[in-house]
Amino acid sequence: MFGIPDPYIWIAYLLAIGFAGACVLYGLLNWNNGDAEHGS
Amino acid sequence: MAVDVLTLSIVVAIYLLMIVGIGYYGYKKTKVAEDYMVAGRNTHPVVIALSYGATFISTSAIVGFGGVAANLGMGLIWLTVLNIGVGIFIAFVFFGKKIREAGKRLSAYTFPDLMGKSYKSPFLQYVSGIIIILSMPIYTAAILIGGARFIEVTLSIPYETALLGFALIVGAYVVFGGLIAVMHTDALQGAIMLIGMSALLLLTYIHLGGVTVAHTALTNMADLVPAGLAAAGHNGWTAMPTFGSPIWMTLITTMVLGVGIGVLAQPQLIVRFMTAKDDKSLHRATLIGGPFILMMTGVAFTVGALTNVYFYQQSGELAITAAGGNVDSIIPLYITQSMPDIFVIIFMLTLLCAAMSTLSSLYHTMGTALACDVWGRGRECALSLAANRRGIMIMMVISILVAFLLPGSIIARATVIFMGLCASAFLPAFVNGITAKSPCIIGAKASLLAGALVWFLWTVFVHAAESSVLGLSQFIFGVPSLLGQPWSACNPLVIALPVSLIVMVLFQIRHNRRMA
Repeated sequence: MFGIPDPYIWIAYLLAIGFAGACVLYGLLNWNNGDAEHGS
Repeated sequence: MAVDVLTLSIVVAIYLLMIVGIGYYGYKKTKVAEDYMVAGRNTHPVVIALSYGATFISTSAIVGFGGVAANLGMGLIWLTVLNIGVGIFIAFVFFGKKIREAGKRLSAYTFPDLMGKSYKSPFLQYVSGIIIILSMPIYTAAILIGGARFIEVTLSIPYETALLGFALIVGAYVVFGGLIAVMHTDALQGAIMLIGMSALLLLTYIHLGGVTVAHTALTNMADLVPAGLAAAGHNGWTAMPTFGSPIWMTLITTMVLGVGIGVLAQPQLIVRFMTAKDDKSLHRATLIGGPFILMMTGVAFTVGALTNVYFYQQSGELAITAAGGNVDSIIPLYITQSMPDIFVIIFMLTLLCAAMSTLSSLYHTMGTALACDVWGRGRECALSLAANRRGIMIMMVISILVAFLLPGSIIARATVIFMGLCASAFLPAFVNGITAKSPCIIGAKASLLAGALVWFLWTVFVHAAESSVLGLSQFIFGVPSLLGQPWSACNPLVIALPVSLIVMVLFQIRHNRRMA
């Protein structure tokens, strides 16, 4: 894949990009969740 | 040098003026100890994300580990997987919210303070503070040495002057502006680092003919791996080393696990979570943190490996040969030889930012540990700005002295040592402290001491990279390492962390049964 024959390398790339994507998705889905607690 | 020193000096001067301005902003905004220690617990999510990322990524991560990727190949990208998966996603989504909530509920100001208050144990606060002020100056000195060497080469300033100037400029805004200045300068530095690393990736692929063409060229160089590296398990720069070989052990246990897991227990990063106003800020920071780290270590490791293609096409040499055998010189040499002048300036600024953002956070963490956790045992945390300022100044002076004593080759090694010790000693007890309903204090003490002790023994008597240098094993037992391969290449963290984890879990289970 993309000139990298060893699956253990390109799987690592996919995971790294996937985790970065998961961070973006998590941030977007919870954009307005978790406001400051009242009275604290 | 590819660029004019005068031009670079002007750019650096403008950058320093901006840093001074932000430092002054921090000074004016700091009214009470809570502002100085945890930035008023009201920091903007973008600042949290960039500050966390810029503190996380030092010059060593870009230049040192980029050079390692040039030598050992793209297998290092597994470290990026852990950097994002563990260092950002798990850290922010699972730990960050608990740390923020516990920090606020317990009115904790530092990592040792949080540790002590989680267990209601001044002893744990004290011991955590002691470990920080004993181990962190070595890591800080390594950052200082790296920064000073870099300034010496790029701005043609004598090394001693560069080291003192670098240490004092960063020290000034940390001492006066506290964590507000540290985090806001971090954010500026993180933004510059993002620009620099994005341009580095783009220009590298353009230069080498595109993504697939560049990777294929690197794959086709597999038969050029030096015989010594091939015998140790190196299978080419786009392939993993042979499973269980010395290179595999070093890559996976020291680089990937040692640094990838070690990040969870770094006091200077943990305090970032305590600066968030609410969980919403941490959710939003997660969005920026993941892509930021991908663009830092992901780019450094990819470009590091691809430098072999560039140097082979230019001079028929591998990157390590072109750099005269010095791994730390590969990335700077590649930049100065292959990139346009304007980018060389941007990248040099990127490296300066990486060094300054990490250094400022270490100063703050060490200084507050000394004043708040060791000397004041909590009394000074909430009361005195002056005590914490004095603490930072004392630890700054100690770090400068250590930097003058340590050899220059210690940079990457000190990073791994510091992260390994932090994770082995702190991680299980800390996680248990913020998650358990009734955390077991005896278990925390036993886990902390067991982790630190096993880490120390493995470092001194087994892990050849350190034991052969320290010489104690040779002196007592007549051999540089008590165990042969593969154990002598196995990082101390991989042994010590499971031990401290098992100790913590067993004590906590016994504690829970007694409480039931």
